Amino acid sequence: MELRKVMKTMTAAAAAAAIVVSGVGTGITEVRADDKVQIRFLNGFTGGDGGYMREITDGFNASQDKYEIVESQEKDHYLKFKSGEYDLVVIHGDRLKTFADDGMIQDVSSVYENAGIKLEDFIESAQDIVQVNDGLYAFSLDIHPLVMFYNKQLCAEPPKTYEDIKKLNEELQAKDPNLYAMGVPGLGLVEYYYMTMANQNGIELQDGEALKFDTDEFADALMTYHDMIFTDKVSPSKLGLDGEFKTFVQDEESVGGTQTAIALTGPWFYQAALEKYGDDLGVAPVPLLGNENSVYGNAHTIAVPSNVEDEEVLNGISEFMKYLYTPENLINWADAGQAPTHIATKEAIQKEADKYPLACANYEQFDNCKIAPQVYNVGEQLKYLNENIFNMIVSTEDLTKEQLMGELEKATKTALQVSEGF
Amino acid sequence: MKISKFKSTMFLAPFLVCFGLFWLAPFVYGIYMSLHKLSLTRGNMGFSGLHNFLDLFNSESMYSEAFFLGLKNTVLFVLISVPLLILVSLLLALLVDNLPKKVQGLFRTIFFLSYAVSVTSVSAIFVWLFSGNGGFINNTLVRMHIISQPIPWLEAQPFAWIVLVITTIWWTIGFNMMLFINALNGIDTALYEASSIDGANYWNQFKSIVFPSIKSVFAFVALTTIIASFNVYGQPQLITKGGPTQSTKSLIMVIQQTIFDGNNLGMGTAMALVMGVVVMLFALAQNFLTREKKELKGDKQV
Repeated sequence: MELRKVMKTMTAAAAAAAIVVSGVGTGITEVRADDKVQIRFLNGFTGGDGGYMREITDGFNASQDKYEIVESQEKDHYLKFKSGEYDLVVIHGDRLKTFADDGMIQDVSSVYENAGIKLEDFIESAQDIVQVNDGLYAFSLDIHPLVMFYNKQLCAEPPKTYEDIKKLNEELQAKDPNLYAMGVPGLGLVEYYYMTMANQNGIELQDGEALKFDTDEFADALMTYHDMIFTDKVSPSKLGLDGEFKTFVQDEESVGGTQTAIALTGPWFYQAALEKYGDDLGVAPVPLLGNENSVYGNAHTIAVPSNVEDEEVLNGISEFMKYLYTPENLINWADAGQAPTHIATKEAIQKEADKYPLACANYEQFDNCKIAPQVYNVGEQLKYLNENIFNMIVSTEDLTKEQLMGELEKATKTALQVSEGF
Repeated sequence: MKISKFKSTMFLAPFLVCFGLFWLAPFVYGIYMSLHKLSLTRGNMGFSGLHNFLDLFNSESMYSEAFFLGLKNTVLFVLISVPLLILVSLLLALLVDNLPKKVQGLFRTIFFLSYAVSVTSVSAIFVWLFSGNGGFINNTLVRMHIISQPIPWLEAQPFAWIVLVITTIWWTIGFNMMLFINALNGIDTALYEASSIDGANYWNQFKSIVFPSIKSVFAFVALTTIIASFNVYGQPQLITKGGPTQSTKSLIMVIQQTIFDGNNLGMGTAMALVMGVVVMLFALAQNFLTREKKELKGDKQV
């Protein structure tokens, strides 16, 4: 009798497990609650900017009877996207081609049309970013180029050229040998550094579907950072992860530590820098380090996953886009320190330049801003440079151009293998 | 009362179901994945036979380069950290065991507490302590005139390894220590008394009473520590990001990046299986060494 009971329980448990497993396998195609069509919106805004995006989605939800944005802010949101089901996903501009090639996002021309939004409503560089493989794959949210923060106590005027940086460095070193003009990191934003240098020297890294690094011009451009540290000594060596920013906000209590007057860094560090320096914090475009004014940046875009087919969900997405791309709503995104690419919003922000100094400094760079080349899995193609070569450049005093070329050949070989897929 | 063979076998069913669901099925599925061209984003692109494994051992392949770099770094970490993780925890256990009974519990708890802290918090603390520019350790050493220039703890070798090993010891030492303390508690105190009467000093007691009594626990601790050290991930990921120049990038980091950044699930699984074989070889070697000594001892007694 007891055994029969046990058997029954086990059968029930197995059936329950089967239901759970099959439920997981089939996935959920549509979520509805309180008669509203829910739109699952995934993004990676887990920092200070998350609250501002939440204000936008909350505002949309409050304005709606029919649709509801259910927002998920996840640190590893690309991983969630690859393994889960969502209706809207924030994707960095340099990854759009990879997700389009992998068939994970769909052309959104019809959503543009339904929402009454035109590609021309956005600045030109943003238009280029969202057009991939002859299709229109996303809505542009912002562009975030490398930007310069400066400490007004150490540098009254922001340097505009490398010569200005060297001059500033001489003045600071005369005051205190632990004071430097700037810091070059070993890890972190290194991609922004070497791509800015490539852009400023007019170097084209794309060679077909792969990136090619083993050229004399690129090696020379990279060696500029080596010389900044070991020849001109405008930066301390071995600064490590996010060293450009950590050194800029160095604690005065530190003993023997180095401090810098400017930081070429990401706009997402703005709040932390503002907390440290308050009114003494200045923001300006990146100085001319090479031959022409240019800067590297990335962009946030909003894409629609390819599995979204439900008409009501697509209509809800159109409604959300209509709401988002209205200056009074999108201006919330500038409060987060971001620089929206929607022209009407940009104009509204520029009218209040005192309130949005970071966004306005970034707008000054937009005409010269380039993102990574549109090649498949660009992050993997750049990985060897990011993790290995750049650190070697900024930490090896006796590094020669020949040694660097050997490493660049390895990086090119890896990029080619990544581009060929598996 | 007699029950049938079928019914008695059914009592094993809960175990067999769990074993099948949570070990055998994932393991077999892992082998299946490693034999396929499987992308995290594009799905299954077909059977590829041993292609992933052959690619892994082809020196021209980027996967091979990444795998063997990760393996080299991980083995280095195992070789440095395992002896320290075992010996320091044994030393700590002996110290605690020799404390007055009243305070033993307090110190056991204190030393075990670090084990309960998440790797994220532990890493944040050690990054703050060992930051090269303005970190607490550098500030202290400079103030005390022990060093004149800050040490690039996280930015250069061998310092980065030193920090990772110190972090790992601080974080995990409590677990091994508890196992050793339990083993020490099992030793008959009469043995200590008798040996003292015979004039044995502490070293003699350790050599002839303590170590032989806790040898099986010692072997277990060695085995679990080797396996845990092979799986090192959180500390290099959060403290050094695998740097400087990929010198602390562990094998698990390589596998994680192959699957989640490179989307190559088939290759990532193949790497994990080969790593499993390497860990098994280390475990077998350790087991063989321990068993051999037991047998020798057995022969001697006979």
